[in-house]
Amino acid sequence: MSGSGNKYSVILPTYNERGNLPTIIWLLAKMFKENNLSWEVIIVDDASPDGTQEIAKQLSNVYGADHILLKPRAGKLGLGTAYMHGLQYVTGNFVIIMDADFSHHPKFIPQFIKLQKAKDLDIVTGTRYAGNGGVYGWDLRRKVISRGANFLASTLLRPGVSDLTGSFRLYKKPVLEKLISSTVSKGYVFQMEIMVRARQFGFTIGEVPITFVDRVYGESKMGATEIVQYAKGVWQLFTTV
Amino acid sequence: MTRAIETATFLSITSVIYFLLLFKFVPTPAIFQEKILPVLPWWSLVSFGAYSLGNIGYHIFKFRDCDDAYFELMEQIQEAKTELRAKGVSIDND
Repeated sequence: MSGSGNKYSVILPTYNERGNLPTIIWLLAKMFKENNLSWEVIIVDDASPDGTQEIAKQLSNVYGADHILLKPRAGKLGLGTAYMHGLQYVTGNFVIIMDADFSHHPKFIPQFIKLQKAKDLDIVTGTRYAGNGGVYGWDLRRKVISRGANFLASTLLRPGVSDLTGSFRLYKKPVLEKLISSTVSKGYVFQMEIMVRARQFGFTIGEVPITFVDRVYGESKMGATEIVQYAKGVWQLFTTV
Repeated sequence: MTRAIETATFLSITSVIYFLLLFKFVPTPAIFQEKILPVLPWWSLVSFGAYSLGNIGYHIFKFRDCDDAYFELMEQIQEAKTELRAKGVSIDND
């Protein structure tokens, strides 16, 4: 399909994404086709009770079983293990991870790919904080918290990237395998740990500004508990990585 | 070496150098010794505090709101749902 022989695999962890899944797949398929890329999407569903898997199978019929792979799991088992699970079925040489709730838009993937090719980077990460990046749906309070949190993490961890908790990234497959096998945290601290370790291992990282549309439906939580958890996570990384 | 150990090492080395200078184990010009050295730690702390606040404030000011991304996305969601419904995918009406 694509002359350069590169294949791009998207690992999409889902839980109750029956409403969003068709559109996100539609956007991905459209983008890959328009850019003439060889692609597949691996949906790792954690036994969603809302029928996400049924939708996934229908999408597989529309787009082809070679493009849409459903690899479910028995229960809600966490993000890190979802990626590990998905990695087993990846047949591409590049892996893209992103969220299924529209906060990450597939239209940025060609820019990731272009930057990766230009400098043969190991990792390309989307950033909401630099260049033309931005966010929709954050009030001032949310921005203050986010910026303060990022400053704290950057000062302590010195990761070399402007957006440490972002989870919209492109990896070379062996790079992701190595990173996942060496991380121990859970949740979004896991995303931070990956970046800090990537720096440690000396992997080359590039950034592409992205627009982040937060919570198309409903508001995302950022209360005192979440802030404390975040600070704990940063401290944990500070003292262990 | 963890980030914590790196930081501790850096702070230890700078502290040792500072105290060597403060207690005159290494001679320095009088004006530096009497006026600048004693207040250097506090000055550094305050500067760091000012830098932190400035950095955070600046970035909050420059935070980009991307309304156009939201509207574009809303349109694409509708387009996707219409097309896939026609191809037999069970799209809920919401």
